[in-house]
Amino acid sequence: MSYQETATAILDEETHDAINIDRTKGDFTFPERNKFDAGWGLSSKTVDYICDVKQDPDWVREFRHKALAVFESKPMPTNWATEDLNNIHFDKIRYYLSDGEKPKRTWDEVPPEILETFERLGIPQQERAFLAGVEAQYDSEAAYSNMKEELTKQGVIFVTSAEGLKEHEEIFRPWFGKVIPTGDNKFSALNSAVFSGGSFIYIPKGVKLKQPLQAYFRINSESFGQFERTLIIADEGSEVMYMEGCTAPKFETATLHSAVVELVALKGAKIQYITVQNWSSNVFNLVTKRGLAMEDAEVRWIDCNIGSRLTMKYPGVIMKGERARGEVISIALANTGQHQDTGAKMIHAANNTTSNVVSKSISVGKGRSTYRGQVHIPKHLKGCKNNTECDALLINSNSRTDTYPAITVKGNRHATQHEASVSQVSEEMLFYMQQRGLNQGQAMSLAVNGFINDLVREFPMEYSVELKRLIDLEMEGSVG
Amino acid sequence: MTSVLPAWLRARQQAAQQRYESTPTPKRGDEQWRFSNIKQLNFENLSGKASPADAADLISRSVGLATPTAKFVFLNDELIHSESSLATSIICLPLAEAFEKHSDLVEQHFMKQETRLGSAKYAALHEAYVKSGLFVQVPENQIVEGAIEVHHWISGGVTIFPHTLVVTGKSSQVRVVDIFHSVDTETSGLVIAFNDLSAGQNSSLDYIAIQDLNEVSRIISINETSTARDARAKGFVLNTGAAWARNESLSRLEGPGAHSDMLSVSIPDREQEYDQRTYQHHVSEGAYSDLLYKNTLYGHSKTVFSGLISVDEKAHHTDAYQTCRNLLMTDDCEANSMPGLEINADQVKCSHGSTSAQISDEEIFYLQARGIDPTRARQLIARGFSVEVVERLKDESIEALVLSYIDEKFNGIAKD
Amino acid sequence: MKSTTLDISARSLQINNLHATLENGTEILKGVSLEIPTGEIHAIMGPNGSGKSTLSKVIAGHESYVPTAGEILLDGVDISEMSIDERSRAGIFLAFQYPNEVPGVSNANFIRAALQARLPKGEEIDAVAYYKSLYEKMDLLEMDRKFTGRAVNEGFSGGEKKRNEILQMMMLSPKYCILDETDSGLDIDALKIVAKGVNAMRSADRGMLLITHYQRLLDYIKPDQVHVMAEGRIVKSGGPELALELEEHGYDFLKEPALA
Repeated sequence: MSYQETATAILDEETHDAINIDRTKGDFTFPERNKFDAGWGLSSKTVDYICDVKQDPDWVREFRHKALAVFESKPMPTNWATEDLNNIHFDKIRYYLSDGEKPKRTWDEVPPEILETFERLGIPQQERAFLAGVEAQYDSEAAYSNMKEELTKQGVIFVTSAEGLKEHEEIFRPWFGKVIPTGDNKFSALNSAVFSGGSFIYIPKGVKLKQPLQAYFRINSESFGQFERTLIIADEGSEVMYMEGCTAPKFETATLHSAVVELVALKGAKIQYITVQNWSSNVFNLVTKRGLAMEDAEVRWIDCNIGSRLTMKYPGVIMKGERARGEVISIALANTGQHQDTGAKMIHAANNTTSNVVSKSISVGKGRSTYRGQVHIPKHLKGCKNNTECDALLINSNSRTDTYPAITVKGNRHATQHEASVSQVSEEMLFYMQQRGLNQGQAMSLAVNGFINDLVREFPMEYSVELKRLIDLEMEGSVG
Repeated sequence: MTSVLPAWLRARQQAAQQRYESTPTPKRGDEQWRFSNIKQLNFENLSGKASPADAADLISRSVGLATPTAKFVFLNDELIHSESSLATSIICLPLAEAFEKHSDLVEQHFMKQETRLGSAKYAALHEAYVKSGLFVQVPENQIVEGAIEVHHWISGGVTIFPHTLVVTGKSSQVRVVDIFHSVDTETSGLVIAFNDLSAGQNSSLDYIAIQDLNEVSRIISINETSTARDARAKGFVLNTGAAWARNESLSRLEGPGAHSDMLSVSIPDREQEYDQRTYQHHVSEGAYSDLLYKNTLYGHSKTVFSGLISVDEKAHHTDAYQTCRNLLMTDDCEANSMPGLEINADQVKCSHGSTSAQISDEEIFYLQARGIDPTRARQLIARGFSVEVVERLKDESIEALVLSYIDEKFNGIAKD
Repeated sequence: MKSTTLDISARSLQINNLHATLENGTEILKGVSLEIPTGEIHAIMGPNGSGKSTLSKVIAGHESYVPTAGEILLDGVDISEMSIDERSRAGIFLAFQYPNEVPGVSNANFIRAALQARLPKGEEIDAVAYYKSLYEKMDLLEMDRKFTGRAVNEGFSGGEKKRNEILQMMMLSPKYCILDETDSGLDIDALKIVAKGVNAMRSADRGMLLITHYQRLLDYIKPDQVHVMAEGRIVKSGGPELALELEEHGYDFLKEPALA
């Protein structure tokens, strides 16, 4: 016991120093060197331009055009969501930018400034340390995509979505757009029209990946929209952990990031999808994420939102097979100028399915955090269970937190439980900590870390250290 | 009636009529009507014909508290009976009479708040057509023992607009019970009821509504409560009747030390639908609100609970709690819960909880082992589930009255 | 930790004519004077509401009390203008009567953060030495090792909380310790353990102030001086025998006119 604790403590220190992530770490940019630029604004011409550059098959071109029509027909969801959405000017965004290069399999082949970008973000180092594979996207396309060789031998596919739809159509196409239909919401339609980049992953039957796969999304150009599309299929009895990170430089103008992520966990498969979102505070981050869990399968979303101007993201799980499990673990930190509008959707569609949602949000300064949840248990099912906990911590009198869950239960053979609380770091608790010699900022930081500690443990160690550090940095200067 | 309405009221009624016409009918997709059965807002199927009813018979059927302090019976918004043992310093009059005799006082308090939970259109309709109900004003330091009891009967395919306006002065106390009945079991009527409660400083105001309409009628009831410094307001709604009931309850906490309890018991059966929307609005700092709604669902019934705790920017040191519990008794019932929080202040303690579950087999087994048959056992447990709310009324005779309606409902369910 | 060399005569925690009110103006401390030299243990006894706990909080710098007159001198330096954490780092330790919970923060991390706060910028605590020292003290206080991983005071029994206060005190090794009703709510075994910790802290470089209700604590921790507090003032001071007198006669004998 004592040995282990000491060891952990030492490791913590070292990792702490090694990672040493800065708030401003992502805040740099390189000159654009784009060979392909779809220009400003969105029309069917933009869609055709993207199709031409990407040499999409006809069925994809058709899919994109239909999606554009759906996007145009759908109103902004400001009947329930924030009016800030009206500050997105779709005609002042560039929808496709790339240098026309195919993703490289080694870092040596990656153009120097892109390599430097990802080195500064620590991606190649992390890949060597603990990852099974990495895809690194720069604006619209992946600059680097590689996976450990033994996984290729086992039949694992880890490529960009463009490669997936062309080279693995037989696996890709049946599931593409099925978990999240184009018309799910305005932004899923937008993504379906202009998607580029993102990953396609297939894990064959029974293959259990020991190390995570990682994707890193980088926006380099101003007034740009990034629309990656990810599809992960875990075949029967397989297991995979996928992690994504993201950064962008801070521009004066708004940047749009609107991804669609679909997960399919077949019988007995397990998918964990981990996000650490640290976009700069000019990014509108409007993302649709949903997983399908078949019999005995499990889909877990572990989601941490620290950056962006506005994030709207409600990861969901459709539990379609008996005994399927869905989980959303969510941490949101909203500082001044930020609105973290997050939540979870749990759709029970088979007997004895179980879902769990634990959400913790922290609002600091004038930051605003919102939780929206949906739990649906339809008729004629039995033995479904949902547990939802959402806790909000407010720091400062100007911050705001809202909670809007919706729970529908039909029939009497289920159990749901929802609890939410809002609290502050109490003055008496701060007095206690300050009496031990911590200044107010340190005391606050410790209290905040304590509030989310149990959730941070759900992240892989390398990420949890980064997370704590990011939160410490956010807390600095938030107390006066 | 020959009474002349005061000018201010005529002006407001005209404006309300226009507002009713210009406000769009709620439609699917409106957030405040999420999960609601919008079809229930089609009122064209009302016959519009009042059925004759025997006033003396209704008066004898208007059984409530053993010894009410005052008692009023209305049939289709007309007063048919009244009795009172109240002190003369206390104003307690049919609204029609109060419009005449205390016009200024009524104007001060009548429908002052904005209806914000979805039924603004129907609040306007109510305002345009209201002609009766009760006005109670308790002056400073006056304590009304017991309770004032009001029966509202509806007869025929008509719409009635009962209104209850209660104002308590500093350090006073009063309890008012409204009971809604249908004269027969087969005619569809519509009730658009409104109650305005204004609890003055350090006063205590309890309002109890018992809704026992027939199962082809509908009701929209809107409650607006304001609670001043150190005042204690308690609102309770029991739903046993009606095909469809929409309750909107808004409690505004306006001074430090204000305390608001919002309570409800609903026991829908067959195709009954109860749709409840609540709002705990903390305007002042240092106030307390606590909501407990419990639904026991039978048959193909459906409930919607949407609650919001809203804490304004300056309302520091707020304590606000909200709990909705659903007990699901059949495989065909449906419970929807949307407990919400909007917090803009500091040093706040707020929480909400919502559960939906059935009675566990172990609980039934325990009672069976004591010789109680499973049907009866389930009922006992369900009754106990409701009693937890009723006990918070803290008045034996009112609790007994509410429980008598609850028991009647359970007995009816047992016979099915 | 080294302390700055100072004139030996100023080595004390000195409270002169201290007055303090609540934010609403109610006066709680009505002129308290007291001096605790290093090397000594003083005890303050007194009935409920006499201002004992308030005195400890005012010394620690709690912001709910407004000092209206008087001074608090730590080795001759007035600390009245210091913030709570500055006073702590200057050497004041308060063992709380009701220690707060800090959810999610483990004891080990908490104490370590407090120690880290005492180091110059850039200097890090040596983790191995830290755990060695922590475990030694925990052994003395008969605390289970699992304790380090539990969140501060969360789900602790009354006795565990008090032992945790003594552990923190031992780890931070302050110059002046104020123990606010550390003995209340403890059974005799727990009391003995707590006393063992306190006695281990007894040193020529350290002063201690025990605030207590019960003479019982003083059977295990021998005070050099006993003060009696009533209605916001020290009304009587004496040797350890004063505690026994109080035990025998209760606080009523203070109400004799001669003492008022």
